Order: sequence, then C-alpha cells, then structure tokens
Amino acid sequence: MASRLGESFWGDFFRLCRAVPRSMKITLLNLFRRPVTVHYPDKTRSYPDRYRGLLALTYDKETGEENCIGCRLCEYICPPQVIKVEMLKAEKRNFAKVFTLELYACEFCELCVQVCPTDAIIMMKSFDMSTADRRELLLDKDRLHHIGLQFEPSWATGNLLRDMQTPPKAPKVEAAAPGGAAAEKAGDVAE
Amino acid sequence: MIVAAVNAFIVAFIVLNVIIGMVTYVTLLERKFAARMQSRIGPYRVGPHGLLQPIADALKLMMKEDVVPRAADRPVYNLAPIVFLVPCMLIFATLPFAPGLGVADLNIGILFFLAVSAMEIVGLFMGGWGSNNKYALLSAMRAVNQIISYDLPFIFVALVPVLHAGSLRLSDIAAAQAGLWYVAWFPLGTIAFLFYIVATVAAENRVPFDILEAESELIAGFRVEYSGMKFALIQLGEYAHMIGTSFLGALLFLGAWAGPGSDGSPWLGAVWFTLKAMFVFLVVTWIRWSFVRIRADQILAISWKFLMPAALLLLMATAVVVALQGPHGG
Repeated sequence: MASRLGESFWGDFFRLCRAVPRSMKITLLNLFRRPVTVHYPDKTRSYPDRYRGLLALTYDKETGEENCIGCRLCEYICPPQVIKVEMLKAEKRNFAKVFTLELYACEFCELCVQVCPTDAIIMMKSFDMSTADRRELLLDKDRLHHIGLQFEPSWATGNLLRDMQTPPKAPKVEAAAPGGAAAEKAGDVAE
Repeated sequence: MIVAAVNAFIVAFIVLNVIIGMVTYVTLLERKFAARMQSRIGPYRVGPHGLLQPIADALKLMMKEDVVPRAADRPVYNLAPIVFLVPCMLIFATLPFAPGLGVADLNIGILFFLAVSAMEIVGLFMGGWGSNNKYALLSAMRAVNQIISYDLPFIFVALVPVLHAGSLRLSDIAAAQAGLWYVAWFPLGTIAFLFYIVATVAAENRVPFDILEAESELIAGFRVEYSGMKFALIQLGEYAHMIGTSFLGALLFLGAWAGPGSDGSPWLGAVWFTLKAMFVFLVVTWIRWSFVRIRADQILAISWKFLMPAALLLLMATAVVVALQGPHGG
C-alpha cells in the first residue's frame, strides 16, 4: 500500500475495509479482558519501595527523642520553600524548636530526605491525606510524628540514598602513591 | 369514543414512561460497556455495581441551577429542549413492540418514523440559535449539515426491507421476515444493515461522527448554554432517538420479535425485540469507542460520495430483485 490517503478512491476504500474490522477487534478483545481498576478506598495498591508520599519526622524508638537536629539543610534545599526549621541549641545535641512543612505546596521531590544527615525526615508509602481544609495540611512537629506512626515508611532515608548515590570510590592508581599495599589492592579491583 | 380516548391515553402514558425509564438505564448500560472496552469498571459506587447511578444523575440534573444567558433569545431558547424532545419521543408511537402491542400500528408506520425522527433538527437548531453563543451556533449549523446529509442514505437503506416486504406498515415488515431475517438476506440485506448502522451513527451525531460536540473546538456543541432540567431533556431526547433507531434497526433487519417462544406470548416477543434493539445499540456504542473523530468535510464526503450513491444502487438492486421474484422473495 504505497499510495497515500486521498490518492485513489478504491485504495482508500480498501484500506478502510481492512482498518475497520481491525480496530473493532481490538475494542472487542478489550471488552473480555479483566478491568485493571483497583477499588481504591476498599483496596489499596501495593506501593513501590521508593514511593515518594507523605513526609514524616522520625523519632528514636528507644529514647523517644526526635532525630532532627535542626540543621536546616532541608529548609535550604527545598525548591518550593515549604519547610521552616528553627534550631533549639542544647548541650549534647541540637533539636528542632519549630519544624513546619506546608504540604499543600510540597512537590514531593524527596530532596529534603536526601540531604537529611540524621534520617530524621522520611517519606511514607501513602498519599491518603485529602481534606477540605487547607490548614490541616500545614504540618507541625506533632502531625509529622503522627504521620510517621500511621503509615508504612518508604525504603529511602537520607543515609541509604547517599550510600546508593555516591559513585564507587574510583581507585586512583597514580594518586595513591604512598602505602604500596593499598594501591596495589585498589589496582586489582580496577582491573 | 371517550373510552377509546382514555384507553389510548393510558397506553401512551405507559409506553412513554417505559421509554423514559429505559433511556435512563441505557445510559448506564452504555457507560458500563464503554468502561469495559477501556479496561475500566464504570459506575460502581451508587447502589450495587452502580445500578442506581442513572437515578443519581437524574436527581443531580434536577437540583442544578437553571442558568439562562442574558443575551439569549428567551422564547426560542426555552422552547428548544421541548421541540427537540417531542419528535424523539413521537417516533415510538408507531413502533409495534410485539404483535398487537404498541400505541398505533399505522399503515405508513415507517414513513411516520423517518419523517418525525428528522424533525429533531428543528429543536437542535433552535437551541443553537437561541443560546446566542458562537459555539452553539456553529455546532448547530454543523449538525444540520450532517443530519440532512445522513438522513437521505438512512431513508434509502430503510426502504430496502420496505421494498422487499411490500408494505410501509412496520408489523407487516416484521411479519415478512418470518422465514429469513433481512440481515441474513445476502448480499442486499446484509449490506443494507451495515449501511444502516453507519447512517445511524452519523444521524445520531455519535462518535466518530460527532463534529457537533467537538470538545476541543466547540465544547458541548449546541447544548453548551443549557443546564439543569433543560439539559436533561436534551439528553433524554438524544438517547430516546438512539433507542428508537435501534428498535427500528432491529425491526427492519433482525426479525423484530421473532425468537424462541415468541409465537405463544407477545410479551416474550417484546423481550426478544428489546434484546435485539439493545444489540444494535451496543454495536453502535462499540463503533463509538473504536474510532477517532472524522473531519467535517470527510463526514460530508463519506455521505455524498459513497454512502448516498451506494444506498441508491442498493435500493435499485433490491427493486430489480423484487420485480423479478415478486415481494417476499417470490
């Protein structure tokens, strides 16, 4: 069928006669397939391991202390600037005096999780927070804690992500001049 | 005299209400069917398996605010849904649902059907004109263009069974198919049935011939300014027209009420007839979900350059066959 559409009447007609049953066959086959719909509120889908969902703050399970040290790294990296942190200086370590997250403007980019040095902020495998009141999406420390207890956490934490994303240490043969044994070992790996 | 009038009134009342009930539920059937074709489930939440969805839809439309555009031509605008709905309902007047079961079995039944069903254009154009909206007007003009183009092949194709049966009375056409349904009368009847389906889809303005409600350029077409109950009336009319032509297709080509056990009881015949009409309706829906839209000029080209001459040829061939064999296949 080299002729283009509109060149010859009978060519078009022939192609139409072939195309109509073909397209109707596809819809007919679909009719007898099982629907792929998941009845969402009744059944939940299984989320992927690194699902980027609601944000939560983690607390130490033994001591009950928050993991956040108020370093404000997440506040600095957040593209839509929805995170506000105030540091509370203490003797042993620092805490977050205030930690607010405006979820209604969050774009779920996961950057805050990636920079967190203490795995304090993580994402959950859930998105079930629809509400009619926008104020409920202004998350403070208590709400973030509560979300963390409520849902299943995603695989990703700051340290795990950094481990995964750091490129493997390039074994530099010429740079590693002193300590011959180590250099040799690295050279072996490179080969 | 009075008794007969009251009797006719009661029958008409029953038929009208049955049809309105059917129209409501056909929307659910269509939505479920369409959903399955796209691997979805369709309405599911209202009632078991979404069975109460049409009632919820109707209630919602009744509660809606009725907005009339300030610049609208009010009498025309308000009258249009009624003018649109009445012919769509009237087409059921001559349909016999089973032997002796129908409002009026006229001796010019099919003529009445075809004439009245073409009247819906008037209401449609009134709606498009009265809304005083450029989209509505453009859509209404397109619709008139298209419906006139497709009503002619539609009528010619519907005349094929009429010629063979030798009668304009719908119950006679049904009775003439006792031996062989016209869809199986190869090749004339079969081709006529295919043409009938295409012309039906086009005359109903369904996808792929739905240029009058092209979402991207004309929004909802001629009913863009209608809301609430007026919109519901227009929808009701469209679906009633669709079901009416499905019934006519089942009567002309699929043997009407013939089926196992229909000789004994007319009610069983009516059930068979309804099932066949639903089959035609589902085929139309199936076409709807299989194809993309066709351009306006292509639609007109299909009608005038192909469907119309082919339908005429078909009619002439049928006439020759009937002249040679006599009516009822000799």
